[in-house]
Amino acid sequence: MTDTTSNHGASSPTRGRPDPIGGPASIARSSWRRTLAARGPALIGFGLVVLGLGGVLAQALSKGLGPTGNLPIFILVSMNALALAGLYFLAGSGLTLIFGLMRVVNMAHGSLYLLGGYIAWSLTSKAGLDWFLAIGVATIAIGVVGLVMEEVFLRWNLGQDLRQALITIAISLILADQMLANFGAMAQTITPPPVLSGSAPLPVYDLRYPIFKLVTIGVALGIGILLWVWIQRTRFGILVRAGIDDGAMAAALGVNVRVVFAVAFFIGSCLAGLAGVFGGTILSLAPGLDGAFLLSSIIIVIVGGMGSLIGAAVGALLLAVIQSYAAVYLPSGWSPYAMVLTFVLVAAVLALKPSGLFGRASA
Amino acid sequence: MDGTVLRLVGVTKYFAGVHAVENVDLVVGAGERRAILGPNGAGKTTLFNVIAGAMPATSGRVELFGRDVTDLPAWSRTRMGLARTFQTSRVLAGLSVEDNLYLAALGPRAGRLRVLRTPADRALRGRAAAAAEAVGLADRLGIAAGELSHGEKRQLEIAMALAAEPRLVLLDEPAAGLARAERQRLTELLLGIDRAVTLIIIEHDMEVALRVAERVTIMDRGRILTEGSPDEIRGDQRVHDIYLGRGHGA
Amino acid sequence: MTAYQLLRRAIPVAVLALAVLTPPVFGTYATSAIGLKTLWLGLVAASLTFLASYGGMVSLAQVGLFGVAGLFTAWLSVDQKLDPWLAAGAGIGLAAVIGLVFGALASGSVGVYFLMITLALAMISYNVFAAVPQFGLHEGINGVFPPAVLGDPVLAPTTYFYFCLAASLVVFALIRYLVRTPFGIALQGVRDEPTRMAALGFNPRVYRTLAFGLGAAIAGLAGVLSVWSNTRMSAGSISLEVTIDVLAAAVIGGLWRLEGAWLGAFVFTVLEIYGPAFTDRYVTIIGAIFLVIVLLSPGGLVGIGSRIDAAVRRVLAGPVAGEGR
Repeated sequence: MTDTTSNHGASSPTRGRPDPIGGPASIARSSWRRTLAARGPALIGFGLVVLGLGGVLAQALSKGLGPTGNLPIFILVSMNALALAGLYFLAGSGLTLIFGLMRVVNMAHGSLYLLGGYIAWSLTSKAGLDWFLAIGVATIAIGVVGLVMEEVFLRWNLGQDLRQALITIAISLILADQMLANFGAMAQTITPPPVLSGSAPLPVYDLRYPIFKLVTIGVALGIGILLWVWIQRTRFGILVRAGIDDGAMAAALGVNVRVVFAVAFFIGSCLAGLAGVFGGTILSLAPGLDGAFLLSSIIIVIVGGMGSLIGAAVGALLLAVIQSYAAVYLPSGWSPYAMVLTFVLVAAVLALKPSGLFGRASA
Repeated sequence: MDGTVLRLVGVTKYFAGVHAVENVDLVVGAGERRAILGPNGAGKTTLFNVIAGAMPATSGRVELFGRDVTDLPAWSRTRMGLARTFQTSRVLAGLSVEDNLYLAALGPRAGRLRVLRTPADRALRGRAAAAAEAVGLADRLGIAAGELSHGEKRQLEIAMALAAEPRLVLLDEPAAGLARAERQRLTELLLGIDRAVTLIIIEHDMEVALRVAERVTIMDRGRILTEGSPDEIRGDQRVHDIYLGRGHGA
Repeated sequence: MTAYQLLRRAIPVAVLALAVLTPPVFGTYATSAIGLKTLWLGLVAASLTFLASYGGMVSLAQVGLFGVAGLFTAWLSVDQKLDPWLAAGAGIGLAAVIGLVFGALASGSVGVYFLMITLALAMISYNVFAAVPQFGLHEGINGVFPPAVLGDPVLAPTTYFYFCLAASLVVFALIRYLVRTPFGIALQGVRDEPTRMAALGFNPRVYRTLAFGLGAAIAGLAGVLSVWSNTRMSAGSISLEVTIDVLAAAVIGGLWRLEGAWLGAFVFTVLEIYGPAFTDRYVTIIGAIFLVIVLLSPGGLVGIGSRIDAAVRRVLAGPVAGEGR
């Protein structure tokens, strides 16, 4: 990468004066190449994405722009991808928040997601509660569950990543079995509230799209912005970041790191529960979905980078887009390869930028 | 170019918002005993990390034994004949002292991936034992490195550097935390190292460094302040200032 | 040799003797339901324990690789009518190759990040298999029999049991040998201090990748033994639940000692078979045991055994011997 044309001819060991051959110009050249090396992987990744999208667009536009062409379907599929991305972001943001800020990996995150959905489902279908009330109760309830988990099992072994991962895995095993016992093995869905049900017309092609999915997109965006503001701009968010960067120092400055961590964990868990309610309304609730959403949250964190909200958003978008488009646009008979594409995405990121697209490269 | 073992040209390392090392030029000749001194935060360890390949330089060039190694990883540089110690001992805690030294001896050689035990191993273990002997750990060979005392771990660090039979050794604060007698033994050990081996020592403490070094480089706040013989440095007012004038290091 | 030292030496011998005597003494059911499962589950758990204790890598990809070998072997022998030995070789080979690829991708990461990456890779593999009709989620591939010379694993499992036992012992011995070779010692060094090893001249990623490939081969062997034991396998055999089960078995047995893998597999298998007789929620019980062990005794059952052993030896040495460690 660097300029290796060192002409050692006449130089003798100089004291503190730059070697005239390897002067500022060559140093400037080498840092340009280094920048390219740093940005290169992202450019390649971007290129691959553009290539994939190109293939999809080619199909979408292949029958022209009219209403009988493929464009309307493309629009619907894209909207679905956005809704799915919103769901993935809601689910994954909690995980990346907690890990990125607190270095705690909550492998029970998927269980919290599913439990949140089940609680809301019980409340709406069994207790006849209003959907909005149910989502509020479920979200807070899961926040509390997460908080209890943190206080009882995790607070005293911060820093022992692996041990915490094992603890949360054990908890997820127990939770999964208990959910099976209490909520059954059959898939359930949550009925959306009447005001959010039905479909709304889209501005093009006489298309209609479920209102609830539009709401999901909106909520995901809104929460993303709220989270970003909270972390970057508010005093509390700065305290959280300070607590992470240097807990001992922060504590010495009088910050109650314990409280800050607990609140952050509570919020991260609330997000998981909230995502579960949305997922239960759009998709379904069933045993095994805890694992599926743990997987997608992990993928988002790997692809986007630990602790990066923007990374979580981008990762969610990439994952949802790949899954949605692959399901529709891959030649028939190639459907298993939708999952392989996910693997390619993860592998590509790991190979090119192991810390994630927006992750901080560890020293 | 023959006699130059290490050459830094315009090396800069920038991270966490600071220029830990800024535009450093350095030349060390074969067989030299060089000390790099400076107050805390001067960037000495960062410089070592860049030389050894533990961190990439932000800009500039690093040449070892006449070759440009700027983009080579740490293990490549070690295989060229470089050895280093760490400021906080990083011994391989789960392995015995002997295994630690065995690995140090094996590192620069071929056969690192062998799954067969060959006679070459005996030679390597012999070298391991000799290195342990040299630092006074001969009777601790079978002990797990993690169970050594702090001082013994520092000794093991140095023994590991020597077991590799390097051409250039970087010692990062070898005297830190040592009692007087141990410092004496360390000094004698360093003075006794073969002249074919080049030594560069970082020290915060002057005593050991100025006795072993023939030439001293002073760093302050990421830059090189001055270079000279130990006597010249002792007499340099600027050096006194950066150590005393600013109170405890930044 | 004191009586206690004799007792200590006798324990592994006794365990081995019990294992060898299982078919004649405990009968067909115990041999095939408990014995076989303990052996192949123990083997895949051992691949995890090997990577964790000697490589410092806790991998959740082992079950995925186990599935790659098992399912590929099943497909080759049943659909492609390939000779079972060749099918097994191909299956294990494929698992090893994929293991090297996974290993290369994940070797740049450590600790819990590595755990997550391996989990992601394994679950993606599971999803790929589940989507391919030939493998299928629940249907899977049936009628996968071991080579004729090994007998019928269900009706007359004795020969097959001894084969699996021998395979397990060989793998155990192989690992114990390997960790004293230059590669093995260097691997342990990479486990302890990767930066130090880099400074000594070793490329940590190479060691992690190769070790991962070996772990994949071992998991692959377990996969073959498993599919032959059950004469069938589906993608459901490598779901997330199974991955967590294997992790639980390894942790319960003791993640830092190779023997723990089979001990944990045995405990797990017994709980799984006899648990439902007591309660439908035996999975919760297993999870609770797993949790308690992680909280209180990270060394698992073997770790508890070590501590009892150390305590007994201290007591036997008498109150006078004041030498600490």
